[in-house]
Amino acid sequence: MDREEFVLVRDMVRSLATRHGVTSADEVKPSTRAAAQQALDELDLAELRRTSPPAATAQECALLAEEHGRRPLTTSLLGTVLLAPELLRLLGASTSPAIPTIAFTRELRFPGRTPTDLVAWDSEGADSALCVTTDGTVSRVELGPSAPSTDLVRTVRAVPSDAPVEVVGQLAADDQLRWQAYALVVVTAELVGAAGSFVEQAVQYARDRRQYGQAIGSFQAVQHLLADATVLVEACTSVTRYAAWCLDNEPPERALAAARVAKAEVNSSALEAVYAGMQVFGGIAQTWEHIAHLYLRKVRLGSTLLATTAELLPALAVPEVTR
Amino acid sequence: MTSTPLDFGNPVELDRLRQEFRAWLAEHPLPERQSDEPLPVFLHRWHRLLHSGGWVGLDVPERYGGRGLTALHQVAISDELGACRAPGVPRIGYLAHALLEFGSEEQRLRFLPRMLAGDEVWCQGFSEPGAGSDLAGMSTFAERHDGHYTVRGQKLWTSYAQYSGLCLLLARTDRSAPAHKSISAFVLPLDRPGVTVRPLRAANGDDEFCELFLDDVRVEESERIGVEGVGWALAMTTVSYERNALDTGHISKYGLLVERLRRFAAEQRAGLPDGLLSRIGRCVVDYEVLVAHARRRTAERLAGQVAGPESSVDKLLMTRTEQRLYDTALEVFPAELAGEGGELFGDYLYSRAASVYGGTSQIQRNIIAKRILHLPSNG
Repeated sequence: MDREEFVLVRDMVRSLATRHGVTSADEVKPSTRAAAQQALDELDLAELRRTSPPAATAQECALLAEEHGRRPLTTSLLGTVLLAPELLRLLGASTSPAIPTIAFTRELRFPGRTPTDLVAWDSEGADSALCVTTDGTVSRVELGPSAPSTDLVRTVRAVPSDAPVEVVGQLAADDQLRWQAYALVVVTAELVGAAGSFVEQAVQYARDRRQYGQAIGSFQAVQHLLADATVLVEACTSVTRYAAWCLDNEPPERALAAARVAKAEVNSSALEAVYAGMQVFGGIAQTWEHIAHLYLRKVRLGSTLLATTAELLPALAVPEVTR
Repeated sequence: MTSTPLDFGNPVELDRLRQEFRAWLAEHPLPERQSDEPLPVFLHRWHRLLHSGGWVGLDVPERYGGRGLTALHQVAISDELGACRAPGVPRIGYLAHALLEFGSEEQRLRFLPRMLAGDEVWCQGFSEPGAGSDLAGMSTFAERHDGHYTVRGQKLWTSYAQYSGLCLLLARTDRSAPAHKSISAFVLPLDRPGVTVRPLRAANGDDEFCELFLDDVRVEESERIGVEGVGWALAMTTVSYERNALDTGHISKYGLLVERLRRFAAEQRAGLPDGLLSRIGRCVVDYEVLVAHARRRTAERLAGQVAGPESSVDKLLMTRTEQRLYDTALEVFPAELAGEGGELFGDYLYSRAASVYGGTSQIQRNIIAKRILHLPSNG
């Protein structure tokens, strides 16, 4: 997309977030979920990554995911708009009216050898889910009932173990690397958006909230807490943006290495930034009605999504292709 | 700026540059450091060798002796040096930027090519015993006469002044104006009468840091950089580059050690405790984050963003990377702690200075809070 076109799309997602971002956990209901998803569907963004070559670069998709993460949104931008269409694009699959999302394992990892023990992740508005097994086989699975998620705004549905599995295609080895890198970058970018936005909200709160007769943001202890959180968000932003650019410009094995580095950084730094923000909000952030725990839930669960720090760090310690 | 796509350069071109550099490196074996050779002397030899291949000042315009490429090219080569286990790039990027932005055309033509070639070695006379992080509190004074100045005062932490010929000096030229308007910048030849350089032994035993005593030193008006009072702006620009891991050569320095740790991890994998392997992985991540961050800053600057207070973010990231890296390296190579300590132990001690020099980590946090986050002042 050219710059103006991208800004237009980004601003559409931004205004969707303003209108449909939930401001309290109690607002998350089936009716509000459906209304928000309908508003997203009306933006008609699923073609962004569905055509070959794709209309949107990976960096642009990452930026949209980041934008989506900035407010607690129940919409399936990641699953049905950015991720599943990319898989179909890589497969060269013909268009169909189906609206799939992505299936991960119950532990929210990339599936193993067989399409078993799955959940349909980010499944609001989806009618099926695509699963990629380790050999690159892509299958379509049916959706079962809603499943609970610690991330209260994310819709997850069960995948019945006895439901039929329809093979859709087979990813070439390089495309499988691309897929994994892309999926890592997109989910990572959403976490960066969440942490960055939450820290900004905490900064605003520090300017407004007064104690001891002055704004708490004037206390150096609070300032340093927020400065450190800002550094972490900047680190997350840089590494994720670069990983996204690598997907557009570098061979897939390098892009995957960059994506894993980004996920490793964001797993810990985005979470730490959210902790700092919550500390600034103080008592109010410990309540059910406050928005803080929606961010905390997303980022805490997100830090285990697809790849945990415990898995990534030892693997990144030994030389592999990064250059 | 951060919510629209960034251009990290032409990957084909960057890759070609890396290949070109590797090919050059293959024909020019790394120099060996002699057992009695001081580090700055060794690094100066390396600097001249790198320059002979055209690998210094990649982002400096050609008419000033550089390659006329972008800082993205410089990042690629800095990263490549570490990967090739070569010593780092010369620490002159930030000084070159100060001259590029504030020097007259005559000064740029006179000083930059020789600085890049290593024909003239520069040091930086900013800090004073009474003015460290609070640089505005400096008291060295340059008194104006007809066509020249007389400088009196003392500088501290002037790295490798004993090996340098020229000093980028800051001094007050107005006693009454507010600090930020009264500081001027000069190029001071260190062989001038009245200049005394005294090395100060650092905690790691090295004599990198120096004291500089200036007793009525004559400095010509033509040696002033820019107009009077431009010193503060020059200092802020310089430290903003100095806080960037790229322009100080830190990327190549860290990359070298990260590469060493990774090779060790590959050899020892089964024999290393899991915790240590993860700590090495953390260092790899820190390093890659820092390189990505330098690339992003460069991409933003190429897209027109002016360097500003965000350099405090860069400095804190650099400090995090350095201090975790050297601390981990000592865990991985415990023999470095034996006896009087190895070279890596010395570097470890030096890494503790990272949160102090160029403005302490606390000062950087103050700058972020006030100038980026616009948090209110106390009271």
